[in-house]
Amino acid sequence: MSWKRSAIAFAAVVAALGANAQRATAGGRVAIGVTETIASYDPYADSVSLAYGIWCQVLGCLGVYDFSKSDYVGMLAESWEVDKADPTIWTFHLRHGLKRQNDGKELTADDVVFSFNRVNTDPASQQKQNVAPVKEMSAVDKYTVRVVTKEPTASLLEYLFDRFIITGKDLYEKYGANEADRKYLWGWGPYKLKELQIGQRIVLEKDSANPQVKPENPDTIIFTIMREPEQRVTALLNNEIQVAEFIPPQLAQRVREAKNARLVESSSVEIMFLAMSPKHRPWDNVKLRQAVCYAINRDAIIKSILAGQADRLDGPIGPAQYSYDANYAKTNLYIPYDPAKAKELVKESGYTGEPVDLYTPVGRYIDDKEVTQAMIPMLNAVGINARLRTPEWATLWADVQKGKTAFYYMGRGSVVDPSPALSQYFETGGSPRIGLSDPSIDKALAAERVEFDPTSRKKELNVAFKAIEDAAPACFMWSHRMLHGISNTIEFEPDPTGRIFGTHIVVKQ
Amino acid sequence: MAVDVAVADAARPVRARRRFAIRPLLKPKIVLGGAIVLTLIVAGALAPWLAPFDPNAQNLDLALKPPQWLLGPHILGTDAVGRDILARLFYGARVSLVIAVMVVLISGVIGVTLGAISGYFAGIVDFLIQKLVEVVWAFPPLLLAIAIMAFLGQGLRNLILALVMQRWISYCRVARGQALSLRTREFVDAARALGASNTRIIVRHIVPNLFQSAVVIGTFAMASAIISEAALSFLGLGVPPEIPTWGSMLADGRTYISTSWWLALFPGLCIFFTVLGINLLGDGLRDLLDPRLKRSGTGMG
Amino acid sequence: MAGYLLRRVIGTIPVILLITSLVFLLIHAAPGDPADLLLSDQATSQDIAEARHRWGLDQPFYVQYSRFIVNVLKGDFGTSFRYSDPVITVIGERLPATVELAIVSLLIAIALGLPLGVWAGAKPNSWADNLGSFFGFFGISMPNFWFGIMLILVVAGYLNWLPSSGRSTYGIARGSETGFYIVASLLAGNFLAAWDGVRHIILPAVALGTNMMGIIMRVTRSAVLEVMHEDFVRTARAKGVAESTVLWRHVLRNALVPVITVAGLELGTLLSGSIIVETVFAWPGSGSLLISAIESRDYPLITGTVIIYTLAFVAINFMIDILYGFVDPRIRFGK
Repeated sequence: MSWKRSAIAFAAVVAALGANAQRATAGGRVAIGVTETIASYDPYADSVSLAYGIWCQVLGCLGVYDFSKSDYVGMLAESWEVDKADPTIWTFHLRHGLKRQNDGKELTADDVVFSFNRVNTDPASQQKQNVAPVKEMSAVDKYTVRVVTKEPTASLLEYLFDRFIITGKDLYEKYGANEADRKYLWGWGPYKLKELQIGQRIVLEKDSANPQVKPENPDTIIFTIMREPEQRVTALLNNEIQVAEFIPPQLAQRVREAKNARLVESSSVEIMFLAMSPKHRPWDNVKLRQAVCYAINRDAIIKSILAGQADRLDGPIGPAQYSYDANYAKTNLYIPYDPAKAKELVKESGYTGEPVDLYTPVGRYIDDKEVTQAMIPMLNAVGINARLRTPEWATLWADVQKGKTAFYYMGRGSVVDPSPALSQYFETGGSPRIGLSDPSIDKALAAERVEFDPTSRKKELNVAFKAIEDAAPACFMWSHRMLHGISNTIEFEPDPTGRIFGTHIVVKQ
Repeated sequence: MAVDVAVADAARPVRARRRFAIRPLLKPKIVLGGAIVLTLIVAGALAPWLAPFDPNAQNLDLALKPPQWLLGPHILGTDAVGRDILARLFYGARVSLVIAVMVVLISGVIGVTLGAISGYFAGIVDFLIQKLVEVVWAFPPLLLAIAIMAFLGQGLRNLILALVMQRWISYCRVARGQALSLRTREFVDAARALGASNTRIIVRHIVPNLFQSAVVIGTFAMASAIISEAALSFLGLGVPPEIPTWGSMLADGRTYISTSWWLALFPGLCIFFTVLGINLLGDGLRDLLDPRLKRSGTGMG
Repeated sequence: MAGYLLRRVIGTIPVILLITSLVFLLIHAAPGDPADLLLSDQATSQDIAEARHRWGLDQPFYVQYSRFIVNVLKGDFGTSFRYSDPVITVIGERLPATVELAIVSLLIAIALGLPLGVWAGAKPNSWADNLGSFFGFFGISMPNFWFGIMLILVVAGYLNWLPSSGRSTYGIARGSETGFYIVASLLAGNFLAAWDGVRHIILPAVALGTNMMGIIMRVTRSAVLEVMHEDFVRTARAKGVAESTVLWRHVLRNALVPVITVAGLELGTLLSGSIIVETVFAWPGSGSLLISAIESRDYPLITGTVIIYTLAFVAINFMIDILYGFVDPRIRFGK
């Protein structure tokens, strides 16, 4: 009798302990399963989306792009303007009376200028590209910063907002970089950094004194790395985490059917495309490139492989992104699936049937191998002798960066204002990744860059989109819908950039 | 590797060699193992006739269909782009077979040659070759393969090279042991006195004695080659995508594990049963041919 | 004996150096640029060039190599490109997880394999033998990464008995999860954390240890088979010693030697198997660290981890050799 009873008791203890583990993260604590990790205490040493999101809400950014308003809103800055006479001069007005966490020191223009210098001079800095258009920054007075750009740059906010992190000059000068980064990451954001375990987790704590936070925002936020989607979904369903980032399409149903969580879809700001470099035969012929765009049945791929969780791109951008014009896209940018036309174009191009390799990374983008696998028979059907190649990312990226890869599937993330991305890939001298040189594209992009009136700029950008599609250095495929698994104990609408701000999360009582 | 224990055992007297007879071959291990291996060979060799579909034929409308068993054409279901799983398993058997056989043969030839040379000539040649063996052996097994694949890139040839790199050692050790023990025997002196070249001596007297050990080592090496290929494919370092292998099917199926379990289950079962069959066969053959190797457990690695 | 040991130790140094050099050569020759991979895809070519300069990658190869070897001999494994911390620190934080996993796997393998092997060897061709041999063949034939995936699917997924990945649950761990989580928690009296650690380690340890379990089972079986026929066993039986004592005290003790030898030799396989298992279970050990270091071409981290793994491998084999040398005098004194 004794061993049976002890066995039952043992089992009960085991069950209780197990259940306990699951209830541990209720209340004002929100755990989030993320796919990326911060690799350093130096806030300027990372360039992944997660890092920007975290440092913006801990240390502070000048402003962020608000997708609900489809416009930029200030965070540490309350207003800004461009000089009418000289469009290279921007003036940012900082908010008054912003008290820093822990010691209450006020934010001043000196801190902003210091941060600008640190981004450029810190040896570990990976954020220089965010201030690349800026020639110099200076403090006009305590709350005013003067920013001079190298050339007129209408898209300056795309560079500075959400990405330019402001840190305190005094702490850095007093303690030195090493100690300041490890012990004194105090900022003007609504959340304090409680714990940073490199490669593992980041813990934030609400700064109740900050005017941006509300009582219903979580007291503690834990970003814990969970690279595998299965891991995130299981953790969400077990109540270990309350937000599971980036659910792949095949797991969407599991989250939908969960009793304690729901699936939330939002558009993303990453565009997926097939790039064809005119520097490599047979892709030097524009007709062959155009043929590819007509040959791919994007809707079928979206429907089957991506389980409908992607939005076809008509033109380089979609509805969530700046300057999207639905009418223009429908009438001028839409390329239908037309294999007959593709075959014709292939013939006209004089393509002789030589084998071409389509390169794709594996596991870097959602279902990348599967979607490109599906493209191969589509290409073969119109007469393009294509083969799929799945090299390791390091190898592929090295070749793409050098311009050695002729035909590849790739994504470009963080495209809110498309100007920097389009310039990078399609302008003469942008980057060697495609190596296109087309005067009408160059002209259009140069025009939009100096156009400060939003309506006119939008028109100019759409002209650029058309020029790009005509030259066809790339076929724009889709942008994945971003799927998040959200626990029913919180209210949260994910931001299309994927960044998670504590002030957007409401813990239900 | 475990088999070097056998070299230490080489000093012990060999039990009387058995005659080649049929009855001992009927032990359950050999029968079962042999049957499985035979199935593998037939499946691989006759894949183009046995496979119900073209392994690369896609059909997006029929993607991720669960196994229909005997009720439909796609007996074991389809993958993410609508390719038939059973067909891919057949062709995967082919590739696994080719890879395993090539790896075993090439590493066998290299290993036996180097080992025989090492043991026969002794001295500085032996020292150098053994140093090479030590270096290669001390490399944590998977790492060497990963490094080679990362460096050389995808491809069947590169994969075979990566797999051969560490497998020739077992043959080398056994061959060396054999050569060492035989080089001082009288018949070798006699042959040399008669003017036989070193090559001839090695080939005619040393190599035949290795046959039985080589067969045993070979079967275990086959098993481990199949698993290593799967592991490398699993890490994305295997053959290019148009060649279906069980390992890459496993890797592909991993993303769909909780929703489309059949993608990962069947290739894994194939790997498992194939390796099991080879191990059974190898074990049975070892009991029969070379009991000296018994103490070393298995050749897995 | 001391002379033999010393010679062996000195003999391993050039081997390790050679392996390290080989790895250095391979990864530098491999395509892929660490600066490209670690910087954002919007970094300018100037930023990339600066990073390469900072990491010494713009130096000629022989300069990089000699600097590297000199540092290694001094015990300086360099600074990780990605984490900006000394490689030793980065690996040191992840190594306990791998060691913990390896130890638990070994324990599971021994706890299952040894008794099964003894029973099988004691009664050949009985049902105990068949059952044990089934486990044995199962163990050696099972690809550990597939087994891991199946375990996750069934035990963590369907049955929901155990967590599917990771090492600890935040909130319970309270910071002790980077070291030896289970032991540290026990010592600190945090039984909830210790249990959390155990729950997380079971599946990966089973996946990793199954292979070893099969090997131990089979070696034990054949060792026991051989020993059972020895005279001293018959003598013991004749003296009236109980059968179980005969088995577990006399037979096992003599059978253990080849078992330990083989187990030791297979520890290296365990080490490399842990790389894949860690990937499958998202176990934060040095194996998964190595994989991500290779993917991002973090040269110092790659070479550092390989050196440590090789050292461990060589050390284990060395200890086995010593053990074997003690046991078999012919090896000790012979050539």
